[in-house]
Parts: sequence; C-alpha cells; structure tokens
Amino acid sequence: MGKKKPAWHFFTSGYLILVLLFIYLPILYVVVFSFNDSKSMISFEGFSLRWYEAMLENREMLESVKYTVIVAVIATVVSTIVGTIASIGLSKARPLIRSVVMEINNLPVLNPDIVTAISLMLLFLSVKIQRSIVTLTLAHITFCIPYVILSVMPKLRQLDDNVAEAALDLGANPWQALTRVIIPQIYPAILSGALIAFSMSFDDFVISFFTAGKDVQNISMYVYSMKRFNPSVNALSTLIVVAVTIVLVLANLIPALRERKNKKEEY
Amino acid sequence: MKSFFRMSYPYILWIALFIVAPMVMILLYAVTRSGNGTITFSFTMENFARFLSDPTFLKVLWTSLRIAFLTTVFCILIGYPAALFIAGLPEKRQTLMILLLTLPMWINMLLKTYAWRGILMNFEDLSSEIRVFIGMVYDFLPYMIIQIHTAIAKLDPNLKTAAYDLGANPWKTFLKVTLPLSVPGIISGITLVFLPAVSSFVIPKLLGGGNYVLIGNLIETYFLVAGDWNFGSAISLIMALIIILSMYLTKKLDTTAKEE
Amino acid sequence: MRKLIEFRNIVKSFDGQVVLKGVSLNIYENEFVTLLGPSGCGKTTLLRILGGFLEQDEGTVIFDGQCIDKVPAYKREINTVFQRYALFPHLNVYENIAFGLRIKKMGEDLIAQKVNRMLSLVNLEGYGKRNVTLLSGGQQQRVAIARALVNEPNVLLLDEPLGALDLKLRKEMQRELKRIQQEVGITFIYVTHDQEEALTMSDKIVVMNAGEIEQIGTPLEIYNEPVNAYVARFIGESNIVEGTMKADCRVRFDDKVFECVDTGFKPDEPVDVLIRPEDLTVVRPKDGVMRGEVKNVVFKGVHYELMVETKTGTSKTVKMHVVTSHDIHNPQAGEKISANDFYVDSDDLENKEMTDQDFISIANAQAWDEENRDLSLTKVTHDIQKTPGVYSITFGTDRGTEVTVKVYVVHPEYVEDPRHNIGISALDFFITPEEIQESMAISTDLKTWASAEAWNLQDDSSVEITDVKFDFDPAAVTEGSYDITFATQGREYKVETTDRLEVGDRVGLSFEPEDIHVMHKEVGDV
Repeated sequence: MGKKKPAWHFFTSGYLILVLLFIYLPILYVVVFSFNDSKSMISFEGFSLRWYEAMLENREMLESVKYTVIVAVIATVVSTIVGTIASIGLSKARPLIRSVVMEINNLPVLNPDIVTAISLMLLFLSVKIQRSIVTLTLAHITFCIPYVILSVMPKLRQLDDNVAEAALDLGANPWQALTRVIIPQIYPAILSGALIAFSMSFDDFVISFFTAGKDVQNISMYVYSMKRFNPSVNALSTLIVVAVTIVLVLANLIPALRERKNKKEEY
Repeated sequence: MKSFFRMSYPYILWIALFIVAPMVMILLYAVTRSGNGTITFSFTMENFARFLSDPTFLKVLWTSLRIAFLTTVFCILIGYPAALFIAGLPEKRQTLMILLLTLPMWINMLLKTYAWRGILMNFEDLSSEIRVFIGMVYDFLPYMIIQIHTAIAKLDPNLKTAAYDLGANPWKTFLKVTLPLSVPGIISGITLVFLPAVSSFVIPKLLGGGNYVLIGNLIETYFLVAGDWNFGSAISLIMALIIILSMYLTKKLDTTAKEE
Repeated sequence: MRKLIEFRNIVKSFDGQVVLKGVSLNIYENEFVTLLGPSGCGKTTLLRILGGFLEQDEGTVIFDGQCIDKVPAYKREINTVFQRYALFPHLNVYENIAFGLRIKKMGEDLIAQKVNRMLSLVNLEGYGKRNVTLLSGGQQQRVAIARALVNEPNVLLLDEPLGALDLKLRKEMQRELKRIQQEVGITFIYVTHDQEEALTMSDKIVVMNAGEIEQIGTPLEIYNEPVNAYVARFIGESNIVEGTMKADCRVRFDDKVFECVDTGFKPDEPVDVLIRPEDLTVVRPKDGVMRGEVKNVVFKGVHYELMVETKTGTSKTVKMHVVTSHDIHNPQAGEKISANDFYVDSDDLENKEMTDQDFISIANAQAWDEENRDLSLTKVTHDIQKTPGVYSITFGTDRGTEVTVKVYVVHPEYVEDPRHNIGISALDFFITPEEIQESMAISTDLKTWASAEAWNLQDDSSVEITDVKFDFDPAAVTEGSYDITFATQGREYKVETTDRLEVGDRVGLSFEPEDIHVMHKEVGDV
C-alpha cells in the first residue's frame, strides 16, 4: 500500500500503545498492589506477600473459588457434550427447524444477562425448587451450551458434506462415521467451545447472583458482596491473570506447534 | 442422515425447558397481578402503566439509555482508529495485538471493575456518572475493536489497490472504500456494546457507589429486595423491548446506508 | 453379459421440483457407463440414489437381482468417488485407503498388503505417509479411487471426478481410469457433463436431459446417429439446420433439396439436419452445393475452424456525416462549447420520454473552461415536435455560453425481413473526426451513434447486431458522408479444414449424402 511516512507510523503505534495501556491498566494495578505491604489502594509501600497469605486464610474466599471451579467444570463438560451432539444433529436438520432452534439458541447470548437470570429464577421459584448449587449449575449449563453450539456449528457446516457420506460409502455405520470421521475433524472447534464455556461459567456474575442459593457463592458473587475493601482480592486476581495468560498462550501455541510437527513429517 | 438429526432431540427438550419456558414466565408475570409466589392469572397492564407514569422510573430509563449511548459512541471513537491501525500491521503483529486485546476479556469482569474502583480512589472529585462511564467504556472497548477489526481485515486488499489505481488518495480511499465496507463491523460492535451497557448493573453498583441507579439495578431491587416479581418482570420486558427496537433501528440504518 | 443393476421407473423431486421423471436403465457387468448431461439434468441424483444417499420417491433399484431400496448406504457393495474427493483430512494417504478395511476389522498385515497393492495400482507407491490435504488434485483423485477400490466393490460410482483438474491432467486421468477399469474388471458408472470424457472412456453413454434419458448407445452411435438436436449439440461440434423431409432420402434445407440416407419420416415433416464440421469440404464456389463467405477463421492447431455464411442476415445501411466541429468560444466567461446536429426518430419521441440528458448525449454536447475542465450543461431549450421536420436545440452553461444545433426529426425507417422474422432500424448521424479517432471500440460506438437496433418480429425480443460494415479508416477519417451497414447474423456453418483461408473469401461447401443426418424434432420443441 505504498510507503508509509515514519511520522504516521509513529502516530499509529503510539495510539495502539495508549489503547493497550488503558486496557491493561487495571490488570497492572492489581498485580502491583497485590504485593503491597500496606492495605492502601493508593500508595505502594514496599513489597510483601502478606495478601497472598491472607487469601489462603480467608475461608469464604477459598470456598467461593471452590464453588466457581466445581460449577465451571460440570457446566463445561455437560454443555460441551450436549452442545456438540446437538450441533451434529442440527447440521443435518431441515433448514427451517435448524433456523428456529438456532434463533432460540441465540436468545441467551443476545438477551441481557439480567433477563436470562430473572427468567431462570422465576422458573425455579415457580416450580418450587430451592435455589442451590444444583440450580446454579443448571443455569450455567443453559447459558454455556449456546456458546458451544456457536463454536462447533460453523466448523460442522464447513465440512464437506460428502465426507460423512464417504464414510458410509466405505461401510462405516452412522456411529462409526461420527466417531471416526466427523468428531476428529471438528475437535478443535469443540475444544474452543469448551474453553469459551468454561470462561463464561467461571466469570459469570449476573446469572449466578439470581439463581444460586444463599449458601453458595462464586468468586464474582463474593467480590460483589464484600463490605470492605480487601487487598486479598488483588492477590486472587493476580493468580487468575497468570492462569488465564498461561491457558491462552498454550491454546494459541499448541495448534502452531502441531502444524510445525506435521510439516516435519512431510519431508 | 435422518438418524443424525435425532441427536438434537435432547437439546431441543433442554431449550424448551430452560430457555423458552422461563421467557414465557417473564411474560406471564409481567401481565399478571402478584399472588403468593404463584401466578394468579388475573391479567393486567397496570405493571406497565405504573412504570410509564412514574417520572422517577422514566428518569432511570433515560439515564440508562444516555450512558449506554455515550459508552457506545466513545467505544466507536476510540475503537475505530485502533481497529484500523491494527489492520495495517504486518500479519504476525496483528495476531499478537488481537491476542493482547482478547486476554483481558477472559478475566472476570467483577475483578477488573473492582480494580477500577481502586484506581479511581486516586481521583476523588470525579462524579459517579464519570466513574461508571469509564468503567463501561473500559469493559466494552475490546469487543468494539475486535468486531471492527474483523470487518476491516476481511476486506479484499485488492479493493484498496484498485482505489489507488483509480486515482484515490489514502484518505479518499478510506472514506469511500474502507469506511463504508466496515459498517457491518461497527453495527455488530454496537450490538455487543449498547445492549449489555443498557442492562448493566454491576458497574453502576461498584463504581457509582450505590447512588447511581440504572434500569438493571431497578430490576435487581424489585426482584431481590422488594420481591415484586410482577413489576420486576414488566421492567425487564420494557427494557428488552427497547433493546430490540434499538437493534432494529441500527440494522435499518445499516441497510438504508447500503442502499444509498 | 449379466445384468447387474436395473433402475425401474425412478422418480425423484426436491421441494416440488421434479428432478427425475421416471428413469429406467439397465447396467451390465464390466461396463464403463457414462451418464452424460448438463448440470441439473438429474445424473448425479440418479447416482446418489444408487449409492444410497438419497431415497427415490417412486420406482425400484434392483442390484444383482435383489431390491436394494431399503438397504442403507453402508451395507451396499458399491463404492463412490466423490466430486471433490471427500478424503478424510485428519488421516494420511495410507489410513484413508485403509478406512473401509479397518471398518471390516481386517487384520493389520492383510490391510498393509491390500493398501500397498492399491497404491501401486494408482501409481502412488511411497505416498502412504503423506498428508492428504497437501497432495495435488490429481494425487487426491488417485487416493479417492484407491480408497474406493480397495473394498473390492462390484460397482464403482464416479461423480464428476475429473471436474477439478486442469486439462492436461484430465486427459491423463481419463486414460488412467480406463486402464484401471479394464484391470480390475468391474462396472464403472461415471457421471460427467464433459462430452469428450464420455466419448473417450465409455462403453455405453446415457445422455440425459431435464430428468429424462434422451438416448442410450455406444459412443459411435451417439456421435453419428444422435436421435435429436439436443443430443447432437451435446456431443461434438455440430451444425444443426432446420429443414423438411420431402421424401425418403430427400431433405430440404437452406432453400435447396439435398440427397441423404435417412428414411422413415412423414412427408413434409419438419426435421433438424445435422452436419458435422469435419464432414463439410471447402471447394471452389462453382463446385459447391452451397456457397458463402468466410466470416471468421480460428486456428486450432492441426486445422482451421471457419465460419462460413451462406445466407446474409437482415441489414440496414445509413449515412454517417463527418463534419468538423465548430467550438463556440465565449471569451467573457472563458468557456467553450460544442455540439453536433443529430437525427431523431419520431417514434422515439412518441414512445420514450426523451430527457435533456438524452439530447445532450445524442448531440454529444459538451462545454469546458480554459483549464479544460468539463462543465455541466444546465440549460437546454428546444422547439422539437413529434412531426418530422427540422428543429433546433440550444445547449448552455450557467455562465451563458451557448450552442445551437439542428435536429432532424424523421420517420422511422425499418427493414423488416419476414423470412428471418427480424426487423432492424438505424438512423443517419453527424459526427466529428475527433470523436471517431477517439473511439476505442468503433463498431460498438457506430451502433450507439446510429441508434441501431434489431428485434424479433414475433416477440419483440432484441436480436444482436453482429456485423457492422464501413469503408473508412477510423484513424484518418475526413469530412464527408459514409455508408455504414448494420446486419444481424445470417446462416452460418462451422467448417473444419486444413486449407488456409482469409476472412472475406468466397467459398463453396460440399458434402456427401451420408454426411448429413436427419433427426426428428425434439419433443415439446416445435
């Protein structure tokens, strides 16, 4: 696109760096202040690990982490299985049925969280189910499945229709065609669907807030309900930031590495 | 092939139970009078009338729309140049930038908002509205950038070359080619920003300090504090209608812009 | 030969659209059968019904003496090579070929033995470990064939398998496929829209059209004795002329009665006559049974392909008046303006809303300032009426620079040719030498300037003007009047010859009675 003037290059890079700074400001902030020696949120008064120790002694906070992980794992496993199976079924459905189901499927994605939240709460209340970790998990599965489907469906529709037919043609029954041909081809999409589902469940506040019982709370609910400012939250956030970074880096590196390995095998 | 279709039956049952039925419940509650936790089936429009006739409620609605609108506009103003500049980078650095933008999106929103609460403690004289506004722009900006970037990045690079070839300078090329073709990205960005911004209730609660009430907070109050589910349902229905209407108008704007 | 497959009256429709209208067809052992037809003719649908991927609405498929209507695809002893190969991208070449054998739970050493035999059959020895997505189109094709054949089916279905390959590779694979078929000795059912592929490989060709079988025969039968113009046009190059059968062995076309070898038609039955381009011989005009002018010569490598026009099309000649333009200079405004006199057809004034813009473009009116920038013409005044006569029109700019030219309103002059059912019209026009010199496509511009149009007299549809004749040099034209002739397509014959001829040569054409083939009119096409 022609030669760019250095001044323009300088300007665009500067702009992008400013945007990144803005986006990373709170993250840098929590990481730095998690090592603060004082309770202050304004001035840094020396390095210490006291808030990490405080975190480990904070039963309520650890409890919330536990519930968050349990619910996220169950919701991820269930929604990935149900969502994948549903996507495969829907990809072979008549266009009309498929589009109706997809419209409904998109509702929890497009609806404001609070509407989904109160709708589920009303459902549980009106059939007199006590809100508990069970209702919380059901709610999470409900809003996670659509993300799995949205991730798997496009990949499925990209598949050459003939590939499944070719498997049948070569004598595979429908189950064999599914496990030996279809799933191996879409599993990257299934994995990324699962990743999205996990993160959706892990980070959710609004829907959990309305559907969980009084005795369960996840990390978001814990932070929301905190009366006083507690720097242990910074320590927890820092650990989450580190975990997310590792997972994302791996998720982006593994496919690249595998490709390199494949290429090596070529020659 | 029909046997494959049967695989979607469990999910169809699931959405009937957990998506369609709950939506119907909101609708039912919104048009009925309150009973003792169960629906009494006496239909009424008074929940809606109550909302629309009370200036306090209308003011909350107005505040929500205003801040969501401002948030959207600022996300476009800041996000469009960012998306455009990213698209101008070499491919490897583009991927890196997008990864850097996505990373914070995977981190719990409550925790990030909580961090902003700490940062904003350093600026005591900011009004609640400004604090909420900063929090919202922060939270939604990456969505806007990524949507617009996707639209720009998938444009055929030959379009730009063709425009240059036909004598357009870079600025004209941007105005006449890139900008109009990236409108769909802006539209989907608006969907991802305006919609959750209108209904947001965590950011105002955490950053606005309790005295900044948006429609989401109103719904929360009526459900969890006042226990008036009928009125709460009516409010959320009104909000949903406004959102659907605004989305429809945006889409319409997009199509008329394309026709011209 | 034993009958292997029998389609009995197969009917299939999609969303109310009938794709197969009751097709019946027998296929025998060891045959190479080609289903040939344009896309949408139902050939692929028939193949997919046989493969078990579609269910017919009516009719029965018999395979080896048994009805297989209720047998699912994976239990049929038939294998398919799919259009875009449909290789499994997550498996390598070896595993793709081994897929069917693994499903049958065959032993590992037996699998290795069979796969390796297949790899050598399709000339891919040593490719087992390759990633299929990185193979070339031709190699993917071979893997797909091997993957199907390793299961030792009785029938191999091939759905346009060569469509994605380039010409050279396609020719190579055609030979290859024929060789493989002869080597393994099973029935191949091959679907294609490529007539050449069908002719080179098949033992039997089934020509399909709009859900029906038009003709079944050997390649030679189909080429030499097509049952109708549809089949003739689909197979090979052909000249098809409408004619009438006068008596047995007497057919009339091109205003003459010719001798032929065809019998069994009703007297005066309208027929289509087929003459293959290679059967026409170019001779001196006086020796030909037909005479004409060479319109076009294309070199085809070993021979030339000529288009010889034996009857001219409908034509109309008009006058082109070349006049030097007189730019009008307006010194006060610093502007110049020019326009040409023009002719306009009173019918057009009557029927079309002629706008000022239309007049500006017919008169080629333009104005420009001292820096040569185009100015818009904002004022147009005229006294034009619908009755023929001479009128005037004035074009002007905002700043008062004006030019007035003459407008000749004339009665339309059509040439109508009832024999060809074609009407043609064109008008005299005025033009400057500069405009002619600047023209990048002179024939097209001449048509525009003369408003030349041709149409079908019956349904008013427009007919292309294929011929624009003029005798001036566009690069060096001077003032004066010139004749321009516009003509539609006449009767043309495609001829293959090794003689070198030039466009414009007069030639004679001759042929033997057995070179022409008389066909019944297509059903529903009278």
